[in-house]
Amino acid sequence: MACVFAAGAYALAYDSPRTDMSLARLPLMLTVLALWGLAHLVVRRVANGADALLLPVVAVLHGTGFVMIARLANKWADLQTVWSVVGVGAFLAVLVLVDRPLDLRRWQWTCLGAGLVLLVLPMVPGLGFTSGGARIWVSIGPINFQPGEFAKILLAVFFAAYLDERRTLIVQSEHRLWGLNLPEMRHLAPIAVAWGLSVLVMVGQRDLGSSLMFFSLFVVMLWVATEKTGYLVVGSALFLAGATAAYFLFDHVRSRVEVWLDPWSRFTDRGYQPVKALFGMANGGLWGEGLGNGQPSAIPAAHNDFIFAAIGEELGMMGAAAVLAAYVLLVGAGMRVALRAQRDFEKLLAVGLTTILAVQTFVIIGGVLRVVPLTGVTLPFMSYGGSSLVSNYVVLALLVRMSDATARELREVPSIPGVRERVAMRLAQRRETRR
Amino acid sequence: MNQRIRHLTVAFVVLFGILFMQLSNWQVVRRDALVRDSRNNTLDRERFDSPRGRIVTADGVVIAESVEKDTGEFRWQRRYPAGDLYPHITGHYTLSFGSTQLEHLERRLLSASTPGAVEVTVRDDLQRVAQAALAGRDGSAVVVEVATGAVLAMYSNPTYDPNQVAQHSGAAAEAYLEVLNADPEKPLLANAFQERYMPGSTFKILTTTIGLETGALTTASTFPNERRWVPPNTDNPIQNYAGKTCGGDLAEVFRRSCNIPFARTAVAIGPSEFVAGVNRFGLDQTLPFDLQGAATSTFGGTAGDFDNSLALLAIHGFGQGSVQVVPLHMAMITASVANGGVMLEPRVVKRTFADDALVIPGNGTVSSPIDNIVRTTPVRQWRRTMAATTAATLTTSMEGVTQSGTAACCLQIPGVRIAAKTGTAQLNPEGEKQRSHAWITAFAPAEAPKYAVTVMLKGTSEEISAGTGGRLAGPVARQLLVAALNGAQ
Repeated sequence: MACVFAAGAYALAYDSPRTDMSLARLPLMLTVLALWGLAHLVVRRVANGADALLLPVVAVLHGTGFVMIARLANKWADLQTVWSVVGVGAFLAVLVLVDRPLDLRRWQWTCLGAGLVLLVLPMVPGLGFTSGGARIWVSIGPINFQPGEFAKILLAVFFAAYLDERRTLIVQSEHRLWGLNLPEMRHLAPIAVAWGLSVLVMVGQRDLGSSLMFFSLFVVMLWVATEKTGYLVVGSALFLAGATAAYFLFDHVRSRVEVWLDPWSRFTDRGYQPVKALFGMANGGLWGEGLGNGQPSAIPAAHNDFIFAAIGEELGMMGAAAVLAAYVLLVGAGMRVALRAQRDFEKLLAVGLTTILAVQTFVIIGGVLRVVPLTGVTLPFMSYGGSSLVSNYVVLALLVRMSDATARELREVPSIPGVRERVAMRLAQRRETRR
Repeated sequence: MNQRIRHLTVAFVVLFGILFMQLSNWQVVRRDALVRDSRNNTLDRERFDSPRGRIVTADGVVIAESVEKDTGEFRWQRRYPAGDLYPHITGHYTLSFGSTQLEHLERRLLSASTPGAVEVTVRDDLQRVAQAALAGRDGSAVVVEVATGAVLAMYSNPTYDPNQVAQHSGAAAEAYLEVLNADPEKPLLANAFQERYMPGSTFKILTTTIGLETGALTTASTFPNERRWVPPNTDNPIQNYAGKTCGGDLAEVFRRSCNIPFARTAVAIGPSEFVAGVNRFGLDQTLPFDLQGAATSTFGGTAGDFDNSLALLAIHGFGQGSVQVVPLHMAMITASVANGGVMLEPRVVKRTFADDALVIPGNGTVSSPIDNIVRTTPVRQWRRTMAATTAATLTTSMEGVTQSGTAACCLQIPGVRIAAKTGTAQLNPEGEKQRSHAWITAFAPAEAPKYAVTVMLKGTSEEISAGTGGRLAGPVARQLLVAALNGAQ
């Protein structure tokens, strides 16, 4: 279904004289279609108990984004195809390598370390560089990537594992301070350190969207784990205080907020991009101008942060609302994984990963629609960009894996050994026979 | 834990619901306003870089064209050969800053796959005279053809060079626009039709008309010779220009432009009749003009406002106070006197053509096969301002102004009868440094009117503020009438 949908969209865009798409690029689309076919087959084989909604919804989002990117410019379509291959490859690799999600628990401190290293990496002289105003890029040889995209997954794993282990301790060790129930510092310390560091680093790298994402990830996970609303209140208060401080301390934050409140009078400089995006979407109206018939290239970064505006222009409110609905389905499916999960670690990890997806989606679409100030994060699965696509496919793989694990546990599907386990078994058998 | 997860899910659904509401807000609810916004004229680079049709004047001069370039990212450059002579009519066509006026209004025709062309009613010879006669002073000059409402010249100072805005270097164009936007006199706006000014004594044309039509005034009316008159509801006396003693019959007080007789007439007419009268001239209504952003002339109050303040009505009677008129509107009012009381819609587009290649401008005219014409702008009546008899009486009074009145110094052409009214709109309060706009509005020949002219010099300089409408604006109007009457058409 999703494949037919994406192929149809591609044909529509190709038909328009206003794009420079050519037949020579058709193999790119076919490659991406084949990738989903492969992914689907592998999921049936190694995770047949997984939620049947997850992969198709992602395929629809990824496909719509891919067609829009290909329609905007050939050069991006070329690279996006490469990223799609790498992304789906990462999806399959994680699916095969992580047989039992619970195994991830053992790696919690490694995850924390690696996550923090990745976060700091862009600030290392010689490695990191600044693009689009944020120092969140790392360049190793010919490959440029945003390590923060992967750090978010690693930190989610760490938090899930840590909170799973100590949530009772955290809750029980509470003492009252200033009318608030606070847990003992030593239980909360690693969380506070990781959270503080990541937020600090992200602020230092001038990437507000990501720091907001980390912030909500930690607060939400803490809240879900401890079931204490106090964390939500304190977290929100901290966030408001931080946002206010940032507004007065940093010029770029202030200018973002000012542009958010009134982009119209700043049309000739900083307000140009958001206003152009609104014009584009208004021109699209209810039904859109049709794929390939609009002028989304007039919006700066239409293939990247502003891809939702390009969708709104060419597919209209109907198309954009369908995309929103797809994200709601995805978030809903992620939450269902969390609800059904039988172990707290899996629950927490699923909640964390889904929160990352939901907050990131809300922050960027909300930025484009002027619901919140604009911050530069990518739209999961749709925006152009390798790091984002690959890391979100890893998130998807983890969700699929956990959903499958739950189904096996509930005996909905027979519990068969995982690929790695089978390999291990076979090696053991061989050793046996040799003896 | 599950309950928290459910709450979280609900929270996310609510957040996405907000996104959906805002999406429908932009794409449906506020769509029309956004689509109509003049900045919403995004051109992709491909569409931008295509040849566009020409804009030519009625006497065959090209004032906007696309020329091929050898260097740079784009092949086609929009060029305005006359520089700063026509920006307020052609507008400009840019990649990043949108397009304005005819470049915007006629965009579908000009940038069609077979580009069309636009012919304007403006005559290049008259437009050049207007620019030269204003000699860099802030203000505007308008020439209108009485029989059709066609604008034959319309030039405003300060002006700007559309070539600089249309240059492909975005940074250079932006720097130029910043300078223009910072100028307090607003060069991007044509003060001939996008601004309004206190009309001073030129407004006495309206007061006289309303007086004659309501019977408050007749050709036999006489006014006492006086220096001061205290109107009702106040202790402050009204004075004549420069504190002179002034009076006599209608012809004399009109010729000499006494203030007190018209103040008395306004009070005699009364608020409701007076406001109804100015509305017949189209005040407080949008000028039906075929360029963007025409300003609206205003009388500065409703009948109710003046009921308890007849003194204010008295002051408005001779064009002071809060009454403001758009110069082009004054030209149309003047033309309506010349036209026996019929006021036409002013217009600047003469004809549009389907194929630019079939249009041959030159030798003082524009030729094209008849079937290439898309549209010829029709002559349309806007309002009936007065009876033909009233128009005849006014014409006689206005001829007196040039024969022996306030314009006798400066608006006489041997062998041509000219009807005119001057205005010196005093902007400063009593006792402060003199600051005034200089106006003249006229038509000729008085016995068979062809052209109406309105010249307004803004009181932004010492020279203009020290002079009168007759002395300052008169010579400009004279040059324009001479050129129009001797011209090719």
